[in-house]
Amino acid sequence: MNDRTTRTRAGGTSTTAPPELTVRDVTVRFAGLTALDGVSFTVAPGSVHALIGPNGAGKSTCFNVLSGLCRPDAGAVTLGGTELTRLAPHRIAALGVARTFQNIVTTQGTVADNLMLGRHALTRAGFTASALRLPGARREQREHLARAREIAELTGLGNHFDAPVGLLSYGDRKRVELARALCLEPRVLLLDEPVAGMNAAERARTAEVVAQLRAELGLSVVLVEHDMGLVMRLADEVTVLDFGRPIAHGTPDEVRRDPEVLRAYLGTDATGEDAA
Amino acid sequence: MTDLLDSLLGGLALGAVYALVALGFVVIFKASGVLNFAHGSLLLFGGYLVAVLHDDLGFAGALALAVVVTAALAGALDRFLLQRGGHDAHSAHVQTIVTIGIDIVLLTELARRIGGDLLTLGDPWGDAVTELGPVTVADSRLAAIAVSAVVITGVFALFRFTSWGLSLRAAAEDMEAAALMGVRLGRVRAGAWCLAGALAALAAVFLAAFPAPGLERTTGQIALNAFPAAILGGLASPTGALAGSLVIGLTEALVVGYQSELHVLGEGFGDVAPYAVMLLVLLVRPNGLFGAKGAARV
Amino acid sequence: MSDRITALLTHRRATLLVVAVLLCLPPFYLDAFWLRIGLFSMAAAIGAVGLALLSGTAGQLSLGHAFFLAVGAYGYTWLAGDPGPGLPTALAVPLAVLMAGLAGGLFSPVAGRVKGIYLGIATLALVFLGHHVLLTAESVTGGFNGRSVPPLSLGGFTFDSDGGLNVLGVPFGAEERLWFLGLALFALTWFTARGLLRSRPGRALAALRDSETAAAVMGVDVARHRSAAFVVSSMYAGLAGVLLALAFRRVVPDYFGLVLSVDYLAMIVIGGLGSVAGATAGAVFVTALPLLMTRYADQLPLVAAPGSADGAVGPTEAARYLYGAAIVLVLLYAPDGLHGLARRARDRLRRRRTPTTAPDTAVPSPPPPAAAARPKEHTP
Repeated sequence: MNDRTTRTRAGGTSTTAPPELTVRDVTVRFAGLTALDGVSFTVAPGSVHALIGPNGAGKSTCFNVLSGLCRPDAGAVTLGGTELTRLAPHRIAALGVARTFQNIVTTQGTVADNLMLGRHALTRAGFTASALRLPGARREQREHLARAREIAELTGLGNHFDAPVGLLSYGDRKRVELARALCLEPRVLLLDEPVAGMNAAERARTAEVVAQLRAELGLSVVLVEHDMGLVMRLADEVTVLDFGRPIAHGTPDEVRRDPEVLRAYLGTDATGEDAA
Repeated sequence: MTDLLDSLLGGLALGAVYALVALGFVVIFKASGVLNFAHGSLLLFGGYLVAVLHDDLGFAGALALAVVVTAALAGALDRFLLQRGGHDAHSAHVQTIVTIGIDIVLLTELARRIGGDLLTLGDPWGDAVTELGPVTVADSRLAAIAVSAVVITGVFALFRFTSWGLSLRAAAEDMEAAALMGVRLGRVRAGAWCLAGALAALAAVFLAAFPAPGLERTTGQIALNAFPAAILGGLASPTGALAGSLVIGLTEALVVGYQSELHVLGEGFGDVAPYAVMLLVLLVRPNGLFGAKGAARV
Repeated sequence: MSDRITALLTHRRATLLVVAVLLCLPPFYLDAFWLRIGLFSMAAAIGAVGLALLSGTAGQLSLGHAFFLAVGAYGYTWLAGDPGPGLPTALAVPLAVLMAGLAGGLFSPVAGRVKGIYLGIATLALVFLGHHVLLTAESVTGGFNGRSVPPLSLGGFTFDSDGGLNVLGVPFGAEERLWFLGLALFALTWFTARGLLRSRPGRALAALRDSETAAAVMGVDVARHRSAAFVVSSMYAGLAGVLLALAFRRVVPDYFGLVLSVDYLAMIVIGGLGSVAGATAGAVFVTALPLLMTRYADQLPLVAAPGSADGAVGPTEAARYLYGAAIVLVLLYAPDGLHGLARRARDRLRRRRTPTTAPDTAVPSPPPPAAAARPKEHTP
């Protein structure tokens, strides 16, 4: 808790490395169907860890476990020394784990409103203070709005800060999700297909932002993505899932050459397919 | 002992009538995701039709016509008003509030026509009673139990054996997938509304029959007691609605039967007992007794 | 840029001042009938704003609003009256509001876990059980015939018709005095509700409505915020109940039935879900319509005078047809209600006044920070 307040005061530029995220033997079953079967991997502090696999391999379910939306039947997820599997989603968020969604899930209102939602866990103003517009609550709102604007500019949304989200282009809305997650000042960022449906220029821009974030803020990133070019460029390590089971693990180069992966997922000529 | 038997039989009859209403409620919810707050006024509409038509058509004819017309009205409301809003979860919520608007208009009109009157429906049972061993039961109650049993069995057969029933269940599982597989949501929905309207009209007859004094403008509100029944059952389960209706009917009858022992709760507690039961159940199980989906539906 | 903001602020402040002055005029010019319409409208607006926060902003349907109005109304009457503790009336008002909030809090095991339209059915229980208690707990509520409401006294000034008060040559009876009380309470409601909506809790509630999942992963405690929204909405309802009790001078159980709850729902739907101004407009519409139709029944086509032959369309019925139909039409054709209509009209005006700026290019390049700085419009 203390650690979090200092991070907030410092305007989000954390100097301490994020804690290690460990997934151990996680199993999830839905009505007889095993969505995740003994999945284990470790996200080293400050690294980009990609999770790939064909559709239905369990990548999104894995994200739901990490963010507390889905409770695993077996296994554990720990962040530093904290066990996450028993915590409600909002507690996990308060520990500095932020995520985006595969299908865009923004709320009504402006970009600023959405980003300020990301500041929820970092702010304190309650119902009474807000209703009476007490000076403390107003000051807090002002300060965090300034930070939200910085993040909007960092992600290329500066021009749209006061625009209603509903009027933005697809790529921009996707970016609103990224910016909102960043507003949590996360230590671990979970990105679920951050460039799906974007055009080449938008993809390049988002890749740039992710690389920049990692360099500047030193946060850990877990990435689910079908764009192999992006995965190969950004990831330090890759875990491959197939039918809920981890079938390979290693650096992008190792995974690319793994025969099991080629057979199960990439196909024989798929290595350079999406590289653009 | 006789008192208890008396209460149990009365509760069974009441539960059977609630089941007709609650079943309609659940069918609508399954097909469209809408909670039909206009259900009470549809019921009143059906009862009112029987009341004004039975002099000319006889009871059976009036009832048949009332059932058909109420079904048609319910189907038309869905097809021409509600379905304009679309089929997704958000529009289902909007449509739920639209049904409140429909209820205001329909109920105001019916209440204006009925005024302070008590309408008789000309049912064949009158105030006749039958001796069943130690207890005396009103014939209308026996009829309610018998008719409900037959009709409910029929409705369950519809669910199970017809293509409409299959489509309905598919739509309740996953509307989008059902639509992709060729289920014509519009028709399935309208069909569900028609069925619910028909059941409501039928229930009106028994709610207004002896020992009730007749059809009054507040009869529709009595039908609201089927809401707790459906909630207890978890909203999306016809079997649950049936069980919930029996629980509610029996509770209400027992509270009325043992009024003198329960006087701390105040006179007339029987009328609100269904809601007390619902609150207690919701406190323990927010999704209802049988609710896997229901209240937990996203 | 800062000049523009100052200009905007003063412009806003001037508008506010003009509105405030206009709202203070009616007691000097209008008779009791109109003042009563205004008074009931203000009370309804306070309650409707509370329901708008719950149902419009947080997406939680409630048909139990009448119950919390009753808690406020009866709470005040009992606290300030005899039988009852006979507290000073000025103390009974905030205590009655707190009582309503407490009642809402007691319901939080349900209100925090049952969501959306399903809560609508659960709250039906409150109305029916509440009505039953009002009828049977005679020693507190007076039973079927209700109780008379003690007038409010604030530091020696009593809001009733006694004392022959004259202001600027106008005799000030209960309606004239209560008008200003209603105005003050409404201003408080407006100020606090808008503060809530534009800050952290309001954003969290709106996020809950739009996507519970997104709200939860952004750190919003879902059950806590649902319960809190319910408590806040109950407190506004309690305040509205107090004002209604003072205006009616008598509280009776039958007033606080399901119909009243549905009326409040109609107000926020017609006004446009989730906005304070919309809820206010809806409240005035739903409250004033039947009263006006009763007054002018003889001049309206198709509407019979109250108490005329059986089966004729009376003014109350005509009003109910109108707003029942309004709910249906608004939701199907103009989902953001009166508020949305007004906003669209305003946007159109504004667009006509200022030439439209060129839209941003389709593929946005990262803008230099300086270009991104624009005067912000929505900070408080």
